[in-house]
Amino acid sequence: MAEPTLSVRDLSIVYQARRGQVQAVRNISFDVERGEAVALIGESGSGKTTVGLGLMRLLPATANIIGGSIVYRRYKNGSNSASRETEVLALKGDNLRQFRWRECAMVFQSALNALNPVLRISEHFADTAKAHGYLSGYRQGTALRERSWQLLSMVRLDPERVWRSFPHELSGGMRQRVLIALALLLEPQLLILDEPTTALDILTQRNIMDVLKELRDKLGFSMLFISHDLALAAELADRVATVYAGKIIEVGDVRTIFRRPYHPYTIGLIKAVPTLTSDKSSLVSVPGSPPDLIQLPTGCKFHPRCPLADERSQQEEPALIEVEPGHHVACWHWTHAREALKAYRAET
Amino acid sequence: MTTITTSQTTPSTLWSTIQKIRSSYLWRRLAKALFSIWLVATITFFVIRAMPGNAVDILIQELTAQGMSAEDAKNQAAALMNIDLDQPLAGQYLDYLGNTLRGDLGHSYKSAGLSVTDMIVQVLPWTLFSVGLALLITFVVGIALGTIMAYKRDTWIDHLLSNVAATLDAISPYLIGLLAILLLGLTWKLVPIMDMRGAMSPGIKPGFTLEFLTDVFRHVRVLLLVYVLSSIGSWMLQMKSNTVATLGEDYVTVARARGLTDGRILTAYVGRNATLPLFTRLAISVGFVVGGSVLLETLFTYRGIGFLLARSISERDYPVMQGVFLIITISVVFANLLADYVYGWLDPRVHIMGEEN
Repeated sequence: MAEPTLSVRDLSIVYQARRGQVQAVRNISFDVERGEAVALIGESGSGKTTVGLGLMRLLPATANIIGGSIVYRRYKNGSNSASRETEVLALKGDNLRQFRWRECAMVFQSALNALNPVLRISEHFADTAKAHGYLSGYRQGTALRERSWQLLSMVRLDPERVWRSFPHELSGGMRQRVLIALALLLEPQLLILDEPTTALDILTQRNIMDVLKELRDKLGFSMLFISHDLALAAELADRVATVYAGKIIEVGDVRTIFRRPYHPYTIGLIKAVPTLTSDKSSLVSVPGSPPDLIQLPTGCKFHPRCPLADERSQQEEPALIEVEPGHHVACWHWTHAREALKAYRAET
Repeated sequence: MTTITTSQTTPSTLWSTIQKIRSSYLWRRLAKALFSIWLVATITFFVIRAMPGNAVDILIQELTAQGMSAEDAKNQAAALMNIDLDQPLAGQYLDYLGNTLRGDLGHSYKSAGLSVTDMIVQVLPWTLFSVGLALLITFVVGIALGTIMAYKRDTWIDHLLSNVAATLDAISPYLIGLLAILLLGLTWKLVPIMDMRGAMSPGIKPGFTLEFLTDVFRHVRVLLLVYVLSSIGSWMLQMKSNTVATLGEDYVTVARARGLTDGRILTAYVGRNATLPLFTRLAISVGFVVGGSVLLETLFTYRGIGFLLARSISERDYPVMQGVFLIITISVVFANLLADYVYGWLDPRVHIMGEEN
């Protein structure tokens, strides 16, 4: 099997705050295989967005990557072995600039404000192409236009209308689709989507999800989907990783995670999502709130909110262990978590 | 068929044209501007006449005191102030408006016989040149320094520039002017004292000669420096805060993610958005260029419009005051109009009503 497009190993990121260090990402490791879609799921403040920004090296000045490695592998079309391996954390200057968007593009949550208000959509495409050494002559200008229009049609926009528009003349959903088209302009191998539909209404959300699925089928890029919404993740992802307090606590195939989750937090997240068929009484939320990332709890970081927590959970942090092929969990009680939680809910 | 349509549409076309004019933003703004100017002209007219010891009477008194007969004094006063004193106030007012519309602002009664229009035309170029150039320098340098402060936020260079800017902003321009004369002219002797008096050396012929131009520059340099120093602080601070805010915008982060060069991000993404609000201020400042600076022009005996205004106030030369106020009003009002249009043109989000289609 070919090596993964992206390999993250032991990545740790801290923010410097007045009160102390915010441990946003703690020793996270995961892979994104070629053409695979991985979802990072977690509450706000779990560190999932920091991972995304870290991969693009776009962290604010107060953030510090204190350890780990991010290896990106570029494949030539049709080839099965990586033609180039890049340590993203070692990239500097122009190399870093060229890595961004050409190899790895990112669609942000803030659809409304992601485009420069004083530039036309066409100028956004031209700027991006120019920055990466395309578009110098008239003929390339025409080529850029053709390529951009093709992408805009693929995200179900009317290129003729959108091309000469200013961002404020487009709706939020249209802007997000423009950004997706823009992300694909340089044919990146990896697309990071950070809550791409959160700021949008439910119908637009649906539309964007369909567009993303379609594009992935057509273009075959790898995807890292960052969201708090399990249902959306399930739709798009091949594998799902649950992030809690800056660490991956469960990761596995999307079906496995939904059918046989082992971590009490993942179980809680799934139970917190209403479905049309489930009745209201089976709906539970995870009690409590995310931990303070400056003063993390001892032991398992989830123990203050976990009904199954015992003395061991309070003292030792469980490691991520493979409990069945491709399914990893970090919990002392994974063997009986589901039954125990069911019994616990029946009691209360 | 065609003729019927035409005859039917003609009245409605005419009507819609009238409607268009009525609803046109430009026309409404223009009407408002003209109204402001009229209002200021009217208030100036009546205030001057309502002042205790009304100006016309004072002039008549002064002239009689010089030994002129009451009748002659009255006639001369009327001629100088461009009003007919036998007319009721309303009639005088109408005459004044009519004359003003024709560009006749009356005659100075201190510099006998000189028309106010001529006096203003004589001094206006000096003010436009000195204050306009200073404004341009302040704008460009202020924006550059403000951007540097924002990019180097919380470094020593930012702290230094911020403090300098805040200090300059707090000191009165007059004090900066005095300090400049004292330090540059007397203590350090960097600039000859004579260069700080007037707009040019006596005896130099105006024209496009190197001699004239260097002389003009030598005379204006300290004044220019004082203008720039006294106003650059607030431009720097405002540009810094605008740039800091813009740097935090999502589209800047996205631009970085898109791998754009730092130069492109600085100019098209950060700079353009951060300077937008400053253009309004620039356009409004252009209006005040005409007013010049009364204090600084007096301090440097720079014969611009501020100098003229100061002198006319101290000499109670009411027609000149009236004329200068009117000119300042007109330029400020039209600069505001300009500011609106410039902004609409620079920022695609602002659409001026009635401009589309």
